[in-house]
Amino acid sequence: MEDLAPKIIFWVFAALMLGSALIVVAGKNLVRSAFALLATFFSVAAFYVMLGADFLAGAQVLVYVGGILTLILFGVMLTNRIYSLELNTPRFQVVPGALVSAAIFMILVTVVRVTPWKQASIVEEGPTTARIGQALMNQYVLPFEVASVLLLIALLGAAMLVRRRTDL
Amino acid sequence: MDRLDAVSSLKYFVPELVLVLTLIGVLLCDLISKNRAPMERRLLIVLPSLFGLLVALFFSVSIYFSASGPDPSDAQALFSNMVAFDGFGSLLRILFIFTAIIILLFTIESRELRSVHHGELLVLLLTVTVALIWMANSINLLMIYLALETVSVASYIMVGYLKTDRLSNEASLKYILFGAVSTGTMLFGLSLLYGLTGSLDLYEIRAALMSEQVVASSGPALMVIIVLVLAGIGFKTATVPFHFWCPDVYTGAPTPVTAFLSVGPKVAGFAVLVRFFYGGMASSTGEQTWTMVGSVDWQTILMGISIITMTLGNIAALLQTNLKRLFAYSSIAHAGYIMMGAVALSDRGIKAMLAYVVVYLFMNLGAFLVIIVVHNNTGSFDIKDYAGIWRRSPMLTIVMGIFLFSLMGIPPFAGFLAKWYVFAAVIQAGLVWLAVIGVLNSAIGAFYYVKILKTMFMEGSDTAEPSSKLELHPLYAVLLFVLVVPNIVGLLLWGYLDRVTEYSHKLLDVM
Repeated sequence: MEDLAPKIIFWVFAALMLGSALIVVAGKNLVRSAFALLATFFSVAAFYVMLGADFLAGAQVLVYVGGILTLILFGVMLTNRIYSLELNTPRFQVVPGALVSAAIFMILVTVVRVTPWKQASIVEEGPTTARIGQALMNQYVLPFEVASVLLLIALLGAAMLVRRRTDL
Repeated sequence: MDRLDAVSSLKYFVPELVLVLTLIGVLLCDLISKNRAPMERRLLIVLPSLFGLLVALFFSVSIYFSASGPDPSDAQALFSNMVAFDGFGSLLRILFIFTAIIILLFTIESRELRSVHHGELLVLLLTVTVALIWMANSINLLMIYLALETVSVASYIMVGYLKTDRLSNEASLKYILFGAVSTGTMLFGLSLLYGLTGSLDLYEIRAALMSEQVVASSGPALMVIIVLVLAGIGFKTATVPFHFWCPDVYTGAPTPVTAFLSVGPKVAGFAVLVRFFYGGMASSTGEQTWTMVGSVDWQTILMGISIITMTLGNIAALLQTNLKRLFAYSSIAHAGYIMMGAVALSDRGIKAMLAYVVVYLFMNLGAFLVIIVVHNNTGSFDIKDYAGIWRRSPMLTIVMGIFLFSLMGIPPFAGFLAKWYVFAAVIQAGLVWLAVIGVLNSAIGAFYYVKILKTMFMEGSDTAEPSSKLELHPLYAVLLFVLVVPNIVGLLLWGYLDRVTEYSHKLLDVM
């Protein structure tokens, strides 16, 4: 019985994630898609919790649900006549597309099943924040700094793109 | 090989630090100079950028020579095995900084960029330069991804820099869409590789792939990983089938940016290819050849990509009427030639790739400079508008002729040397027919290069003033000279280039 509970939780969240992701992609209403994305992000956070990655789960909720998604919703709702907007998503080449997707899916499933994946040793459960902080300041200090350059340049590019031509 | 921590790594990291400081400094200079006269403001951003790049170039050259000698024990892994410090990376570092200096000078008098403020463009250029260096030196999957993403994001903005130009916007958008998909694909492949080997370090990955248990049953997974990772690398190097963005982006971007994209990210992409496959998926036999690790024959995959890339690039280039588009396909074809070096699985192949990119830098940037000069005068990129250029500026025609003959690979010029290196490497590896395909492709390539030259000699019928001289800015004249001389004396520098590549290719086997 003890093994059963995590499995049920896993499948519930997996179903939630896939179902909501499908609505995001196929939905014709932009607001509905944005709210479905919320469920997707939450389900991913749930997986992080199940893997014992507490900090990652928190960051996922704060950054994606709290930050990015709220921004998307703001953008969507501030747009004029958003509720009457019908998303125009024409479908091309349905049959070939479905065949290719199915083939890729089969290949990936086969690969996942036959490959001897590296098993990580079971780590002690507990707060991961301190360990992440130490890794960022020691082993991963260069990627950490490179990421800051990347963010600086993304900020600069965003500012440049939204700026009016007159106030150069 | 030593594995250095962050503090003791810093002394090997001076050029990169200089570049990052410069880019922050230029950003600040741009902000504080806001109320000054345009010309003064221009100087306040161009001069610090140029100064920073020159200082970085000085340090990279001195590092290259002080780490001198053929002793591979100089190689270091910096920042806890994040980036390598070796001859290969040291040479490419010089190459990237030199390219950035040339491109910086290209932007100054370009007609397309005349009406826009250059501040952000130079900051972006400096960022891409330092990220290219990181990309070419990464020996860790996380660093490869981060450096590649930094290059991509900055390139998207540079391509769309002409905000009021519809083609530039379209190019930027297409670049982002293709880039996001291919980077995501590559990231998925890298995650599978991590799952298979349990490590992000390329050399630990190689060790894991060599264990018998993994070799026996990881074939399908490794195959999927290699295909997915090649999507990311192929996007950067513009090799088939990940080249679709190339013609539109090259046409829409401001020409100096196009010139930069055709050299910088492409060369860095090949550096990642070499680091990834020769660092993580092959081991040196000690006799100047390499054997593949794991159960997937990636040599054949690369060979297929190389053949399709050069053939498709050359044939599609035949049909183009816009010169920037033609050079997009020409650069795709050249990616195919460079890839041949990686197929050879030998030290000689890596040397050939290095020699090719050094020569390619000079001939391709030179050709793009001629395009910029002509566009400054005529405002057109169409080949038909090149009619009568011979009458208007014989010097420019001769210089363009030298670049084009070099791109063709005709003997007295440096391009021949590059091609000779690559073909010799694959012949030595026993792949004679691959070299034959390469030679046939060079022949196809000659058609469209000669077509440009022929048009320049033709009489310009519909030009209003056929006898008016083309204006050549003194700065561009100096740059043309700098770029054309290595193409002419290429064969004399043969021995020198050989020594440089001999030292520079010694990188990966010791680690």
